[in-house]
Amino acid sequence: MSEVALLLQSRSAVRAWRARPRVMIAGVLGFYALVYCLPMLVLLSWAFRGGGGVWTLANLTHLLSDETYSVVFVTTFRMAAVTTMVCTIIGYPYAYLLATAGPKARTLLAAAVMIPFWTSVLARSLAWVILLGRRGVMNDWLVSMGLIDQPIQMLFNGIGVQIGMVHVLLPFMVLPVWSILARLDVGLPMAARSLGATPLKAFLHVTLPLSMPGVTAGATLVFMLAVGFYITPALLGGPGDITIATLIDTVIRDLLDWPFGATISLTLVAIVGAIFALGATIAGGGRIAGLENHG
Amino acid sequence: MTTKRQFSRRSVLLGVAGAAIASPFVRVKPARADKGEIVVATWGGTRTTAMRKVMFDPFERETGIRVRADGPPEAAKVKAMVDTGNVTWDMLDTDIPAILSMVNAKLLEPIDYSKIDQNKLDRIPKVLHHPYGLGHLIYGFNIVYNTKSFAPGKQPKMWAEVWDKNIKGARSFPFSGGLSPQLEFALIADGVSPDKVYPLDVERAWKSMDRLRPLVTKWYANHAEAIQLLSTGEIDVCCTIGSRGIAAKSSGAPVEVEYNQGKLAPDNWAIIKGSKNLDAVYQYINFVIDGKLQAELAKLIPYGPSSQDAFKYLSPEEAKDLSTAPDNLAKQFWNDTAWWGAVAADSRTNTQIQAERYAKWMVQHG
Repeated sequence: MSEVALLLQSRSAVRAWRARPRVMIAGVLGFYALVYCLPMLVLLSWAFRGGGGVWTLANLTHLLSDETYSVVFVTTFRMAAVTTMVCTIIGYPYAYLLATAGPKARTLLAAAVMIPFWTSVLARSLAWVILLGRRGVMNDWLVSMGLIDQPIQMLFNGIGVQIGMVHVLLPFMVLPVWSILARLDVGLPMAARSLGATPLKAFLHVTLPLSMPGVTAGATLVFMLAVGFYITPALLGGPGDITIATLIDTVIRDLLDWPFGATISLTLVAIVGAIFALGATIAGGGRIAGLENHG
Repeated sequence: MTTKRQFSRRSVLLGVAGAAIASPFVRVKPARADKGEIVVATWGGTRTTAMRKVMFDPFERETGIRVRADGPPEAAKVKAMVDTGNVTWDMLDTDIPAILSMVNAKLLEPIDYSKIDQNKLDRIPKVLHHPYGLGHLIYGFNIVYNTKSFAPGKQPKMWAEVWDKNIKGARSFPFSGGLSPQLEFALIADGVSPDKVYPLDVERAWKSMDRLRPLVTKWYANHAEAIQLLSTGEIDVCCTIGSRGIAAKSSGAPVEVEYNQGKLAPDNWAIIKGSKNLDAVYQYINFVIDGKLQAELAKLIPYGPSSQDAFKYLSPEEAKDLSTAPDNLAKQFWNDTAWWGAVAADSRTNTQIQAERYAKWMVQHG
């Protein structure tokens, strides 16, 4: 009996909660303050407080004055930019196919994106070692076809890293674009056609502009994730492909210089934050966070 | 065509991605070291399984003190424990570079050698009696090669040949993941005799590294990766831990180890600052540095026992592939922990300074 009473009580409690969205939001904000903002503040104090608790900019000066770190930042952002571009070029047509295909083809196409997405990044990166190696599947095939005499070096350089990163991050481009294209009113491009536009013109002037928010959202997601990439560049890259995440790992784990590691991390967070803000201004922040309006 | 499904599917995906990103920071309830129990942080896998069989279980049976294995024994984890006052480990099984960083960060308890069984200690070479770590498993950094890549006898047999661009073959060397630059080998390749390599002539070593650089196909981040690339023939010769090469060889991979000019280094027993079970810890150390017990461990994992007593209990066949077997010992030299641990500029050790220089060297040539 008491269980029933409890159940009733909890039900009314749920109703009471629902009636107070502000309380719920406060709960969520409190949670974030605890598990996100607090650690970030700790990082801040590591980065900017020297011995004896004196505030200092020594770590930031170290970061800015040492050319190594700016080289690595540039490498990281260049890699992320190329990945984003390639993901857009491959991802958009793929998403378009997904949105326009029949149900059976769509299931197949969606599975082709989603199944690798659920596989470990480590396993997928290692699979590329097998495929792209000098005695790997690709080189064997190219040599046996007589297309090349010597195996091509596709691994442990920029090419390997880019292939691996695009493979891992492609779903983050395909999914937002697909969601926009699938919700697009098919009547609009049809109206354009009926008014005399060629299919290409209808696409360029109607479908593409309407789907741009999805592209911006996808590009922002891909770029932000690519900037923090670690495993794939470490496994598939060469000495020219050291990313900022690899460097943070060295500083934190090997050098045990946590204040400096915190400084690099916060700089990365600040830059990524700025990119997010830019993307949000263009696309509307909710869309990137997955909270877009329906209407 | 508006569907709620797609919206929610993507939020779920983002949630999953978020959880995946956050998971390294989620703490599982730590193993708590109470009275009558010690927690030993070691490397997991076959190593922990072998230690459980040969060390932990017999120790538990003899003393009644339980041994719990945890890990991996990373310096950053120890720092987090000591800094937050939440020390849940008593002992570490780790290498000298990690110990030196931890000593510099004041995370370790010095070993009180008066509490160590002198008879057993005498059988362990003096070079392994570090103030903060007692060597127990010995490995060497060696020339490890794929036997299919070279005609018999044509493989590199000394570092000068690894550095020689006329000898064809994809090389691989360690970078990052706690691995110091191999400056000793750079000097030996440049003509310095292995017994005169310390104190390291750092500038000369880096010039020699510049010559090695174009020959290296892959700078690997961990030893398992190196052995994997070597076994599949993706690289032909690498500088990695000989014991790992032996393990690959015994599982059928076309891999062989050249002991000549190898650099020997120990994994050590070290005590974490703030351990509340020091009596049990010393009982444990005295139990596990026994030669006979080390011989049993060497039969399970191919690392060299530190106690020379161990070789009384091993057949020549069993000893042949161990880094501390008398024949192999004679071909190799000991890593100078005093040099690597020496505090040089702005309270940083040579290990830290060279590790940072390594990262810069790697980036700025890229």
